[in-house]
Parts: sequence; C-alpha cells; structure tokens
Amino acid sequence: MRIKRRDFIQAGLGASLGVMVHCSSGQKAKGTDKKVIVLGIDGMDPGILEMLMSKHKMPQFSRLIRSGGDFKTLATTIPAQSPVAWASFITAKNPGQHGIFDFIHREPENFPAGLYLSTSKTIEPMDGKVRLGKWMIPYKSAQIKNMVGANPFWNEICDAGLSAIIYRVPADFPPFAGKAWQFSGMGTPDLLGTYGTFSYYTDNPPENAKEVTGGEVYPTFLKNGVAENFIYGPNNSFRLTEDGEYEDLKIPFKVYVDERNPVAKILIQGKEIFLNVGEWSGWTELNFELIPKVKSIYGMVKFYLKEVRPDFKLYVSPVNINPAKPALPIFNPENYGKKLVDELGLFYTQGMSEDTKARTYNVLDDNEYWTQSQMVTRDWLRAWKWHLKNFRAGFLFFYFSTLDLGQHMFFRFIDEKNPLHNQALTSGLENPIERLYKQMDNALGLILNQMDEQTTLIVISDHGFAGFNRAFNLNSWLLDNGYLYLIDPELKEQSEYFENVDWGRTRAYGLGINGLYLNLAGREATGILRKEEANRLLKELKEKLEAIKDPLTGEHPIKNAYIAQEVYKGKFVGTVSPDIVIGYRKGFRASWETTLGRFSKEWLVDNLDPWSGDHCIDPTEVPAILVCNKKIKKTDPGIWDIGPTVLKEFGIKVPEDFEGEPIF
Amino acid sequence: MFGGNKIKIKKELYERVKKFSELAGYSSIEEFVEHILEKELSKLEGSDSEEEIKKKLKGLGYIS
Repeated sequence: MRIKRRDFIQAGLGASLGVMVHCSSGQKAKGTDKKVIVLGIDGMDPGILEMLMSKHKMPQFSRLIRSGGDFKTLATTIPAQSPVAWASFITAKNPGQHGIFDFIHREPENFPAGLYLSTSKTIEPMDGKVRLGKWMIPYKSAQIKNMVGANPFWNEICDAGLSAIIYRVPADFPPFAGKAWQFSGMGTPDLLGTYGTFSYYTDNPPENAKEVTGGEVYPTFLKNGVAENFIYGPNNSFRLTEDGEYEDLKIPFKVYVDERNPVAKILIQGKEIFLNVGEWSGWTELNFELIPKVKSIYGMVKFYLKEVRPDFKLYVSPVNINPAKPALPIFNPENYGKKLVDELGLFYTQGMSEDTKARTYNVLDDNEYWTQSQMVTRDWLRAWKWHLKNFRAGFLFFYFSTLDLGQHMFFRFIDEKNPLHNQALTSGLENPIERLYKQMDNALGLILNQMDEQTTLIVISDHGFAGFNRAFNLNSWLLDNGYLYLIDPELKEQSEYFENVDWGRTRAYGLGINGLYLNLAGREATGILRKEEANRLLKELKEKLEAIKDPLTGEHPIKNAYIAQEVYKGKFVGTVSPDIVIGYRKGFRASWETTLGRFSKEWLVDNLDPWSGDHCIDPTEVPAILVCNKKIKKTDPGIWDIGPTVLKEFGIKVPEDFEGEPIF
Repeated sequence: MFGGNKIKIKKELYERVKKFSELAGYSSIEEFVEHILEKELSKLEGSDSEEEIKKKLKGLGYIS
C-alpha cells in the first residue's frame, strides 16, 4: 500500500513531500510550528561525559551547554534497567503504575512456569486451529500484547492535533495504539520470536558449543569445497511432522569455497553472495514459505565469512524481521515502515541488534563485534539524518542503542579492576568507549547545525554505567541462609531453572536481574509463606542483604535492598512487582546463573564474561544525563519528568495522574 | 468423575484433601482432586513451551 500524503503530513514529516506542516485546517494552532526533539542515548554516563568534555573531546555537547543550554544528572528508576526506566519516560509514572520492574517477569499463579519478557506477552488462542491432515490451519491469530500498563504521554500531543514520531524507544513493542508514528525498539524479537539467535556454521565447533545461549552452532563440513546447511526460521504453525510437532521452516544454502583464494560464494534462494574472508554481506532477504505459493513470512540476514582455511567458519546474523514486509507489528502505522524502507533501504529491526552473545561466546572477537555494532549505528545515523532533514513540526523522539551495548562489552577496556582488563588491551581495538561517545557527539552536532528558535532540544539517557567485575548469586545466598531449599542438594550446580527447588520449604527466591520474591501463599502457585509473616521476613532479608561483605574486596555488594511497598506506588505493587529490588553497588551485579534460577558454589565470583559493564544496579550509583538547550529549573529532575516537560513546551496541560513535572 | 477407576491414597492425606475441598467450596472431593490433578498436569504438559520461552529470553545479553 502506498503512503498517503495526508498520513505523512500528520506525522510531521513534511519536507520530502515539499510541504510545510501546519494543523490540518490550514490555520496555525498554538504550538503548531513548535518542535520538541528528545534524543535518547541509552547508557550515556554523566561521569564519562563530563570527563570527555573536560578533555575537549565532546565539542558538540560542550557547545550546546555553553550556548544557553544546561547539563544535569537525571534520576533513574529502581532498578536502573532500560525497560523500567524507558517505561517511566513513556508514561511519566513510577513502575508501580506502569508495571515494568525488570527484563524478566513471572506469572505468580503459574510459577515456576509462566516466565515472560516483561514488556510484551503473546496471548495464544485456546482453540484457534483446525487440523487437516498434515496441515494445521489457524483461524484465530495469537495476539502480542504490550505490557506497559499506562498510556504514553505522546498520546496527549496527538490528541491536541499535533504530530509525534517515536523512533525505537524501548518497551514500545508492539507499538502503542494511537496516532503517533512508531518504530518499535528494545523488546522487538527476531523472526524466530527470540531476542536474538545467531547461527554459526563451522567444521571446528567450539568446546562450549552446547552452552551457547543466544545462538546455535551447526557443525558444517566441506565436501569437495562445498558446504551445505540450512538457515532455520520459526516453526511452521500450518504444517505438522509425522510426530504431530510443528515442522521447522528452513532454507537450504550452499557455500562454494575457492580452492586457492580466501573467498567463497554463498548460494541461497537463487541469490549469489561473494565474500572475502573477513567480509560482511549486506542484507539478504529470505522467504520462509508457510504454505507454498500461498503464504510466506519474510526475514533477512547478514553473512560474515570469518575463515575458510584451515577451519570453515561462517556467522549468520539472527533472522531479522524484514521491515518491508513485517511479520509482526513493528511499525505504527505500517506506512511509516514502508516509507523508511523506501527512503533508507533495509535496516536492523531486532530490538537489541548488536550481537553481544556472539561476542560472549567468542564467535565474534572484539574487532568483529565492533564492526557488527558499527553497522547497526550506521543504520540509526542514516535514519537520524533523514528524520532531521524531513521533520518540520511536532514531537520527535529518536534513540541510539550502540553506546549502551558497547559499554556492556567494552567496559573492561577502561576499568582496571575488571578481571579481563589486561587481556582486553591486547585485542588491538583502540579506545572503543571513547570512540562511541564521540560518535554520539557527532550525532548531536547534526541537530545543532539546524536548530531554530522554535526548537526545544532535550538529550537524555536512561542510566549511566559501571563496571561489572563481581557477580552475586542471590539464589545461592538464599539457599545458604535457610530461605530456600533444594530437593537434592548434591545436584545444586547441575540443576536448571529452579527444577531442584523444594517449594514446600522455600520462603523466597530470586528471579530476573534485580528481583527477590517471597514464595507467598495465595499468590505464587508454589506459595507457602503466610501473609502475616511477610513484613517481618522482608525486614530481616533487607537487613541481612545490606550487611553482606565481599571477602575479596571488603565492600558491601548490596547498597540498598528496596522493599517494594516502600518505594513504589500503584496497582502493580505486590502483584507483578518483586517484593525486594536489589540495588547493587558499583562493580557488582546479579550473577549470570541467578537470573534464571540456577545455583553456584559461591555467592560471589569474578565476572569473566566480556560483558563487563552494567547498570542493573542501585539507581543512585548510575544516574542518567540530561542536556538541554534551555536552563533547567527543577533541582532533582528524573526520567519521569521528561514527558510532562514536552507537553508543557507545546502548551498542553499535563494530566493529573502524571507523576513527573516539567523541568524548565 | 473417575469413570469407575479407583486410586488408593493414605488415610491421612484423604482427610486433608477432604478438609480442603470443603474449605475451598468444592461440591465433592472428586471434583477437588480432579481440579488439582488437571492443574498439575497442565504444568507438566506445558514444560516444552517453557523451555522454548527460556531459550528465547536467553538471547538477551543481560541473562545467560
């Protein structure tokens, strides 16, 4: 469907159609020429920003602040996790009101089953399919629900007849209902429905191949210079195997390796891709046929030829949803996606497009991860330039992800306390974090060059950053302190996801990155703790957790154990929320094992993962940044204040149930 | 309810089941037992999809 001129004007993107945007009646309404731009840079840390500005390495930020602008730290949410903080940005409310508390949530009534990514949930119809032989024909579709439990502030802007464009804000999958133009961000799955699954084809699988998460390793051998395998898509819900399971959708491909030169040709669905060793392909569009010639879903991948001799190593990116023909709702309206593809070509659509898991498992090394993440940044920069060129009025939110994920992966380069610090310095990659900050400075420069008096510019992050050097296993601590019991203690370290937990004796458990939950009778399906015992236990846990000492460093890993009832207000407290939110001190974070209910021998261990920086800790340790082209009057601004500020700039009344307040 | 099949359980457990089925307002012990068994079985039957969900979540860099 072609984009309609009227839709385009309503979204505030006038210039490429050669029009200026006013209200639809043609008369100037109050604020119609007004522009408010919020540039969201995930993970930008005020301390690092200030340090680089003092060394004259962030000239655009310095210029904005010096020329009548302002810079403050911005308070973030408990905990300082992106989905939680951005949901507070979106709704101008505390987590108790918007219902997002962690990356991972559980359904208490089905616990320990019923896990889900906190920001979206798939609702399957109970009786939505009919079986015809090997074919299973759905007549009701599964619905994906955005779990943010309050309306976005930008709906107020649209209700006032003004335009709003929201590019990639986290927690916006599927996009909110309403007139704002949206491209969904963090939380958007790949075509398999996962949050990123790369494929690695090699004749020399790594020893840890079976432990790899976020990717699949496929042993693949050359025969007479040709390797063959498949790229796997989602299950085909239309077709059953003889065992009654859904059939795998898969597309065969062949790789022809040159006998003499480090070059290969990939043949897939009639397309030929030639790659040198060390070279990345562009997007290769893939058609997964559900019913031949009748129904397909469309994905796209990038190939990276890592090596052909002595070993064969081919990386294939997660199958991204093709934005030209999206299989899931990632745009609102669909025309917005069509317009972006027409203007910019194909681009990453997966929520967290930077492939950190491939780096964690050494499928990509530091330099290769850098190259991959720079391809992502180039997509965002291309879109940023296009929006700036065409945006004429209303509200524009634009988001950059790469600084956040770059700091996660490269903090070991700047943190001397990190166990992998010395090793990182031998990688040959120079100052990756500083370079990422400078890229964001350049991105800011693009808007500064075209500022006018009608424009309010607000640059925010959602949290700062800290080293992740020591990992704390909350579940192991609960076990060793008599709050959690195992059925067979001998199997402590072998058990997956709470499978060995004796729920009949367990009073508390840890889930997600910062959550501690009571095993409460009448709430958890496994519950045993009586309600009248809960408050006393919460106080006892808080006291003991805050007193823990790391024998190696002498520090207290937990700065604050926040009791949910004391720090949140709203209908989701005590139902969806954890009962205690763990606020780790800088340098510490939840261990990899504890997040999904596994146990380790020790509570505190070194973090030996390249994922060496983090922010899922106490919010007072990692405040965010706030930089504007106006003076900030509010003394203690928080991320929940930005929406009300935007409304006030347009002269729109801030709804009474918003908790944030304007900052100017 | 059980189609004529009988299941033996300990007397002590039977008494507890009887007590809770009355407290919870079930019309019979059979109805209560059937409800509990259905609930537990649905958890076991759903275990494959739980594995799938965990696999999906593990794609997030933040968890492993």
